[in-house]
Amino acid sequence: MQSLSATSLPGVLLDLAGVVILLLAFACLGSKLFNRYVAYYGAQSVVLSFAAGVAAYAFHSVELWILAGATLAIKGIAIPVAARRLLVRRLQLKRDAALSTGLSTSLIAGGALTAFAYLVTGPRLLPHGLVAAAVVPLSTAVILLGGLAMVVRRHTVAQLVGWLIVENGVFLGAITLAATFPFIVEAGVFLDLVAGVLIMLVFVSGLTRELASASAADLRELHG
Amino acid sequence: MIVLVVLVLVGPLAGSAAAACGARARQAGWAAAAGAAVTLTAAVWLLVALLHRTPLRGLGGFLYLDTLSCFFLLTVAGVTLLASVGSVAYLSAEEDAGRLSTFQVRLYFIFFGIFASLMLASLETGNLGLLFVLIEASTLASAALVGLEGKASSLEAAWKYVIISSFGVTIALAGTLFLFYSASKLHLAPDLRLTWPYLFLHAHSLAPASLRLAFLLAVVGYGTKVGLAPMHTWLPDAHAEAPSPASAMLSAALLNTGMYAIIRFLAIARAGLGGSFPRGVLLAFGFLSIVIGVLFMVRRGNFKRLFAYSSVEHMGIIAVALGFGGILGLYGALLHTLNHAIAKSVLFLNSGDIAQRGKTREAAGVRGLLAAVPLTGGALLLGSFAVLGSPPFGLFLSELTIVRAGFAGSSPVFPLLLLALLAIAFVAFARTTTGMATGEPSLAPSPYRGRWSGVAAVAPSAAGLAALLVLGLWIPAGLDTVIRHSLAVLS
Repeated sequence: MQSLSATSLPGVLLDLAGVVILLLAFACLGSKLFNRYVAYYGAQSVVLSFAAGVAAYAFHSVELWILAGATLAIKGIAIPVAARRLLVRRLQLKRDAALSTGLSTSLIAGGALTAFAYLVTGPRLLPHGLVAAAVVPLSTAVILLGGLAMVVRRHTVAQLVGWLIVENGVFLGAITLAATFPFIVEAGVFLDLVAGVLIMLVFVSGLTRELASASAADLRELHG
Repeated sequence: MIVLVVLVLVGPLAGSAAAACGARARQAGWAAAAGAAVTLTAAVWLLVALLHRTPLRGLGGFLYLDTLSCFFLLTVAGVTLLASVGSVAYLSAEEDAGRLSTFQVRLYFIFFGIFASLMLASLETGNLGLLFVLIEASTLASAALVGLEGKASSLEAAWKYVIISSFGVTIALAGTLFLFYSASKLHLAPDLRLTWPYLFLHAHSLAPASLRLAFLLAVVGYGTKVGLAPMHTWLPDAHAEAPSPASAMLSAALLNTGMYAIIRFLAIARAGLGGSFPRGVLLAFGFLSIVIGVLFMVRRGNFKRLFAYSSVEHMGIIAVALGFGGILGLYGALLHTLNHAIAKSVLFLNSGDIAQRGKTREAAGVRGLLAAVPLTGGALLLGSFAVLGSPPFGLFLSELTIVRAGFAGSSPVFPLLLLALLAIAFVAFARTTTGMATGEPSLAPSPYRGRWSGVAAVAPSAAGLAALLVLGLWIPAGLDTVIRHSLAVLS
């Protein structure tokens, strides 16, 4: 029950899902068009819910099935659709030209961060017998890439999606502990996320009203 | 016992309920104050009841209360009471002047209560995952308070606050995960795994490499909430833009809640890794925060920003005290937490009073407070001397304890550096506040309607200053016992 060896089918599937999630984080980082950025985030969440489903199957856990379903519905479908509607239809934004570094620079930085994640969370660090230990450096890398996306992107909604990528990374790490992570905590994290997205969207629409743009580059009244 | 635990949580919701039922600022404010008084009473009662007993546990580790949690409960409950009374004056004046709509006032009280209740709840849990959930939820509730005024600048502050803090706290969640990884060698009942007492008891058998990473991530993550530099950037904006009683809650209650989370991780890290790694991390972040806080205090400008940078400085001092360690260091850290919470509540509530009278938040626009409104000006002067650690106020004693703890350690460089920075802070801070208190007064009519609003504007400052004076002259035996018992929990 506790351990899921890396050679079993669920273990292999989890690893594979982790790799795809990392690749999709890179895709987010590298896409200049808003709709693609959001679409890649949605795809990442769908893969994440697949990973949660695999863990639920392997551990026979009803709670994880619920979380997998909620991930698919909210992170995979609802948030990307809402973000698309807000950005592309209401704010008439197609292209996020406002990157604070060049696209290639941010991709190279992303590669460096991934290498860093592997250095820091190498196998030496992790105790033996951990469920699908290969997922841990992958999830750390996704967390770092999400942080990078938040730093590089200038638009507030793009930063919000960056934070959601970070959350996906943490969730991926939490899945490997599925058998022991209390359900209430995971559900609480999920609720926080939904509430966070809602309150951030309120602020974004407020900023759009006040500043006629919601780019963080225009947020410079407060300094020092 | 359970009744008391629940009472602590529902007390602050009285104001929310009143506001949701359509009460105006004055009634909702008094309801909030009454609720906060209930909470404070329950917290004191809990503290006394738990002092000579084993910690209270329940709900599979989700509920856990020991003396340390009760000490922080007491601090947060006290601040909530002061801020609720301050809210009566501030919000009713804003409502009367038409600066805030009825809807905004209602929102304020609803979120104020939820915010306080969530912070208190996060102090009552022993599950580190739930601790994250509650602290993140309290971030969201307080972000609504920061953005309440709806101007471009307050929305900007609220956005910065919510995005930086959420990111930071998510890092802390990653730290919690790594703590979990480090515990995967231990095979026991699943629901025990993430609870603090269990991990603390088995700290020596946690995997060290993973534990080190967990502690570092937790300090960075919860340090974002505490306002440790360089993660402090949201703090001055949020404190300056929030309504003043909400700023008091942020500075005196929320920062302490974050510090509480760090202390819990620190205890595990110390038991599992020995003293030197946690010491290095805390001293580095602590001194950086003090330096940044002091440097930005030199700038003149918005006086609420000045107070906010002073919070960065004081959180740095507490981190340094935790880093110094030993009985003296931890004692000083806890005492300083309490003292700073009271002093900052006084200053921020006072700043609300000043902003109402002067119609400005710029220090340069305020002159002659002592002559025009002696009570407000006096509270400002006394409050700033208290927060700067001059005798006979409580912060003098706690800072002295912390410096002594530093000298008891290996190197005298750190305490000397601390003393030098405190001296610079004194000059930088007092320069601005004495300028505001003295000089040619510009008279403005009182913004408060009705006698009780005026009283509510001054009473919390007076009560806080009296408490600080008492704490500066002598530490009551009860408080001493409480702090000593809290230290025993950690070692």
